[in-house]
Amino acid sequence: MRNTAIILAVVTLILLAIAYITGGFELVTEGFLTAGMTASQALLMIFAAFLVIGQLQTLVTSDMIKGWMQKYAGGRGIAISSIAGGLFPGGPYIFYPFLAGFKGKGISFYLLFSFVSGKQTYDFTRLPLEISLITPWIAILRNILTFPVPFIMGLISWRFFPQGVAGASWEEGE
Amino acid sequence: MVVTTIIFFIIAGILFFLNIKHGRHMEGIQAGLRQLIIALPVILLALLLSGFLEVLIPEEFIKRWLAQEAGFTGVILGTFGGMIMAFGPYASYPIIATIYGSGAGLGTTISMLSGWTLLGLSRIPFECGFLGVKFSLLRMTLHLVFCIMAGTVAHLFDLWFL
Repeated sequence: MRNTAIILAVVTLILLAIAYITGGFELVTEGFLTAGMTASQALLMIFAAFLVIGQLQTLVTSDMIKGWMQKYAGGRGIAISSIAGGLFPGGPYIFYPFLAGFKGKGISFYLLFSFVSGKQTYDFTRLPLEISLITPWIAILRNILTFPVPFIMGLISWRFFPQGVAGASWEEGE
Repeated sequence: MVVTTIIFFIIAGILFFLNIKHGRHMEGIQAGLRQLIIALPVILLALLLSGFLEVLIPEEFIKRWLAQEAGFTGVILGTFGGMIMAFGPYASYPIIATIYGSGAGLGTTISMLSGWTLLGLSRIPFECGFLGVKFSLLRMTLHLVFCIMAGTVAHLFDLWFL
């Protein structure tokens, strides 16, 4: 997060300099005003979005997700894995080690595949931010258009890569 | 925006009551506020950056490469643009919103958003490290197809209905 802030600050400073060179103080002021206007409109919504995110992350635990993953298989398993992926709390530094923990524990490759795809496509804790920082209708349209992706990914891997990628067995630890 | 904010507060309230059952309702509020405090500087910087982008991006560039008129080129550019935007959601979403607000087509915007969501390069090191390079390559290849499809459908929707 700190690195992101530094990169953003540097890029913003560069843009500020370009604005000053090309349009003078007037364009710089316009940039600040545009940013201020957006911030004043969005901040309360962002606050509410984080309240949702916190409650959701507390409600759905990793153990709950683990239980679902081990219980279902086949088409139903793909559907459950996709949704479970979307519900899984935490960023990549929690998500991927959690998944790696399934290696060699009898979870089919296609379930893992739809789980990863579900996390990236849905990520329900990211949805409030998507709605508040972009616009509700664009966020909803994107979610509708990509909704089937994790299911299709699961079905493709179930049909074409039942043993994992390049013949490596997921169950035995790829 | 007001309606969305109200909806969020209602959802937060429902989740709060669901968490009361497990005695974790306050933990939920704390978790949310903690994340907000951590993310707020990045959000504010991203909004500032977006403000400058909005006043600096030349109209001609948007029209030629990203607007509805750009067609399939916009979808491809959007997909790869979203993919290389190696920031978290706090920074990426305001930037995508600005590009859309500046006149980018629906197809470009949706493919950029899908590209960031499904192909984001910032997650690749984790994925390769924990699940393997082959896993990551297979997922990226399939997701790339879906991003382009989503952008194309959005572009056609924009062309025919909006």
